[in-house]
Amino acid sequence: MNGVNRKWYSGMTTQEDWWAVWLGLFMFTLGLLSVSGIDAVGWQMKVSMWSDISKGIVPSGKAYAGLGPWGSLFATYVVWGVLFGVGASFMGQNVVKFLIGFTVIWGIAVFSWVVGEAAVIGAPASAWKKYGITWGLQLGEASYILCLVFGLIIGNFIKPLAEFLKDAAKPEWFIKTAIVYLGIKIGEMSLNAAGYALDIAIAGACATFVAYLLFWPIIYVIARRWFSLPRQWAAVLCSGISICGVSAAIATAGAIRAKPIIPAMISILIIIYAMVELVVLPGFYTWVAPHDPVVNGAAMGMTVKTDGADAAAGAVLDSMMRALPHGQNWVEGSILAASIMTKIWIDIFIGVWAFILALIWVYKVERQPGQSHVPVSEVWFRFPKFVIGYLFCWFFIMAFGAIVPDLVKPAMAGWKVVSGPMRNMLFMMCFVAMGCITDFSKLRGLGRLALLYAIGLVFVIAPIAYFVAWLFHHGMMPPTVS
Amino acid sequence: MKSDLDLKVSHDGLRWIAANGDISASGRSLPELDADLAGALRRAGYSAGTRLRVFMGFDMTTLPEWTRQYAPHYFNRCVDVEV
Repeated sequence: MNGVNRKWYSGMTTQEDWWAVWLGLFMFTLGLLSVSGIDAVGWQMKVSMWSDISKGIVPSGKAYAGLGPWGSLFATYVVWGVLFGVGASFMGQNVVKFLIGFTVIWGIAVFSWVVGEAAVIGAPASAWKKYGITWGLQLGEASYILCLVFGLIIGNFIKPLAEFLKDAAKPEWFIKTAIVYLGIKIGEMSLNAAGYALDIAIAGACATFVAYLLFWPIIYVIARRWFSLPRQWAAVLCSGISICGVSAAIATAGAIRAKPIIPAMISILIIIYAMVELVVLPGFYTWVAPHDPVVNGAAMGMTVKTDGADAAAGAVLDSMMRALPHGQNWVEGSILAASIMTKIWIDIFIGVWAFILALIWVYKVERQPGQSHVPVSEVWFRFPKFVIGYLFCWFFIMAFGAIVPDLVKPAMAGWKVVSGPMRNMLFMMCFVAMGCITDFSKLRGLGRLALLYAIGLVFVIAPIAYFVAWLFHHGMMPPTVS
Repeated sequence: MKSDLDLKVSHDGLRWIAANGDISASGRSLPELDADLAGALRRAGYSAGTRLRVFMGFDMTTLPEWTRQYAPHYFNRCVDVEV
């Protein structure tokens, strides 16, 4: 039955979630080839901070230096276009339309990446001399913000283009693939700063557990008592705002057998608010708690809904905090890792949470004379598969470092391209795509739900998330560049 | 989960629909759907008194395309039906 998850392997070739794993592990394997002296990933374009644009784009590997900036740009486009095109084809999409949309999104992402790395835009004053400039905006890595701005302009002001791009605007696919690559980063941190990786993993799990137990019941009571929402609407909204956004809303709606219109409408709300959170929170946290980078990262993971928006917010926070005078030695990606780690735990638990809800709903709330069963396989079908890729990369690198420590350095030569420029590029594509699918005008007509969401977010989720993050992460600091 | 019959479930905005090409049942709620299913099975030639375990897998194409990237599964359910 097409479109139905029947067997444990259903969707392995037809769902974005699985394709994130395949694309993730494919590049991870190519990166590993560097142990045998083969650079299979060095063609990937890399953007460095520049004052002379001809030096802004370079191939990631020395073996591909001959490609130059244009060759590297072209190789990057072709390889990723082919990979995503194959995935889109397996998912039954119109490949030509997908590739045209992909080209536009990729083009905007690369343009924003290059512009955002201009020294006059991003370089701190201490580096002006190095780049031969006498003034600059000192915005840090502005590329992420530019991607988002371009995406939002399309999504809100050039709607025919947004409509055309919607087949290729897959923020979740891009970000889940990028999160698999982030598994390399956390694996590397486990080798170089084992304490930090372990601390954010354990603290992240505890914080997630506490947050679940607090957020959901509080929002549910508010939704039912103050806003008189019907039970199904309240439960779906609760999961969306309290857990992990759209995926939680859909999982919960399915678990309680809600009509599909309910998660569809609430998803619109989540996407729009996630965008607001992502724009507001990184700057706000950097301003109010400049000396608590890990707390800020973890709080971001619990507050900002959807993986894409959380990763975006985490990346912006990471760059903002590392731009602070006391943060310039913090390892790039370490604050983002705290943000993603919390989100990963939340994602992992959603299948179990939805299963429990399904049991409560079927056997207690809507009890029917004995026929309906909730298959345990539901937990697996709702499990976010990209997490498998993330954990595989992480644990593989830890095992690799323990078994063949001498090979870590050559392996990292390839893996760093995957977890660096490749991941950055996919993050930026995610931001553009996320902007394209965010249409603020859709808030019209969602008045009561929108008000509840705003109240829940400002007065319940954000403060409790920050307190819980502070409780479990206070005092933890990112590793520093040696 | 083993079943005697597999159906695909969707929702048209008003009614839940379970079908597999040979059999089709619908209802405004899932209990109504289950009740209609017993009649649909009878019409399809199943003899009265037969007990069947029916698997109903949700057709993900029912959800808007853009939301499917966030969650690839809605629900599956199994129902014991007496024709």
